[in-house]
Amino acid sequence: MQSRAQGIWVILLTFFIAYLLAIVPLPEWAMSFRPEWVPLVLIYWVMALPYRVGIGSAWVAGLMLDTLEGSMLGLNALALVALAYITLSIHKRLRMFSAFQQSALIVALVGLNLMICHWLQIVVGQTVSSSLFFLAAAVTSAAIWPLLFRTLRQLRRSFRVR
Amino acid sequence: MFVDNRFDYLNKVRYGLGFVTTPVYWLADTPTRISFWIDDVLVSRTDLVEENESLREQLLLSRRQLQLLESLASENNRLRALRASTRAVKGEVLPAEIINISPDPYSKRVLIDKGANEGVFVGQALLDANGLMGQVEEVLPYTSWVLLITDSHHVTPVQVNRNGERALARGSRTANSELELEFVTQTQDFVAGDLLVSSGMGQVYPKDYPVAEVLSVYVDPGQPYVTIKAKPLARIDSSRNVLLVFNEDERNVAIEPPDDVVEQLNGINPDATVSPLSPEQQFSVTDPNATAQ
Repeated sequence: MQSRAQGIWVILLTFFIAYLLAIVPLPEWAMSFRPEWVPLVLIYWVMALPYRVGIGSAWVAGLMLDTLEGSMLGLNALALVALAYITLSIHKRLRMFSAFQQSALIVALVGLNLMICHWLQIVVGQTVSSSLFFLAAAVTSAAIWPLLFRTLRQLRRSFRVR
Repeated sequence: MFVDNRFDYLNKVRYGLGFVTTPVYWLADTPTRISFWIDDVLVSRTDLVEENESLREQLLLSRRQLQLLESLASENNRLRALRASTRAVKGEVLPAEIINISPDPYSKRVLIDKGANEGVFVGQALLDANGLMGQVEEVLPYTSWVLLITDSHHVTPVQVNRNGERALARGSRTANSELELEFVTQTQDFVAGDLLVSSGMGQVYPKDYPVAEVLSVYVDPGQPYVTIKAKPLARIDSSRNVLLVFNEDERNVAIEPPDDVVEQLNGINPDATVSPLSPEQQFSVTDPNATAQ
């Protein structure tokens, strides 16, 4: 039991790095292809440690992302909560999948996350619906997932986060 | 979320969270700062000498123009004050740096390194060396978000420098950094190459700052309005050093003209109170003898 709250700083650190990567300025053409780092890291931790990182953490992580991006407070929070809920309900299956299957699911999950954000922004009139090009980030996220998954798993094992 | 969108309750929460997020921005900006630093360190002496020379030349030229401009501005202020006009060419500036851009590719916003601590306020105008860039949208303790003039939700009131034709310049919805002039009728006089300056309407931007240059004018007889595209003069994508304009003083000018004007007016008409000018007094100061000096 005493080993329960172990390695919280590893989780916080990975989220911190994800935030940094999410706001680092990129050239104009690369902006649309920036992987969604925070949702990816969240999916990993929800999948690996569903009893520690859940919907509540997703909400806090989303609020933090909102303040960083200067977007409407609660926009990313809502999208990430939905993402965490779905991941929670399928985390056992997700663990059994091969890397390719996981990536395919990541496209769907991150795509949903992006769509929720986009829809809400359209509803409140902060953006105009143009094309489905904004989903490009889901594809790059899936491409980067196997690498991220292995790195985070290595981190989790070597620091015995559980 | 909807509370945030509709009401102001959460502004304080955002403001508080701004304290937490500032270090993150600072860290995210580190690569840029390091690359600037490396650029500074790894530069040859001849390059420096060359740069120095060209900068000196530019300084000389700018100084000359500034001298001219200052005399013109003071003359303009005097004339405007004489007419009890509400505006004057004045304004203090605060240099700032752009430290981040919005991660959302569909909104054109940047983050600057000055916030409430330096007295930045919502609606403040942002310039770079070449022209108008945008206005402050959200103020955090040490940083602020600025909405750029190229955002498709942003409309800048402009006028043509050549003839004073007014128009509204909206950020383009399709092209990345372009402006579209809205509601321009076919009889209005716009030509490609025209310089657009801020018209001062809408009370947000100070008057007469260069905004954009007209790229193309397309007249389709079937359409009620002309399609005009303009390119912003500010280097929206590449500027890092920018200026925040404090134009609060402008409104004070209307109430209290500069001292020299007061003296002049008193010299002309000892019992004239300067502001507000009554019609007869206005008449007396616009008298040729009075303005001849």
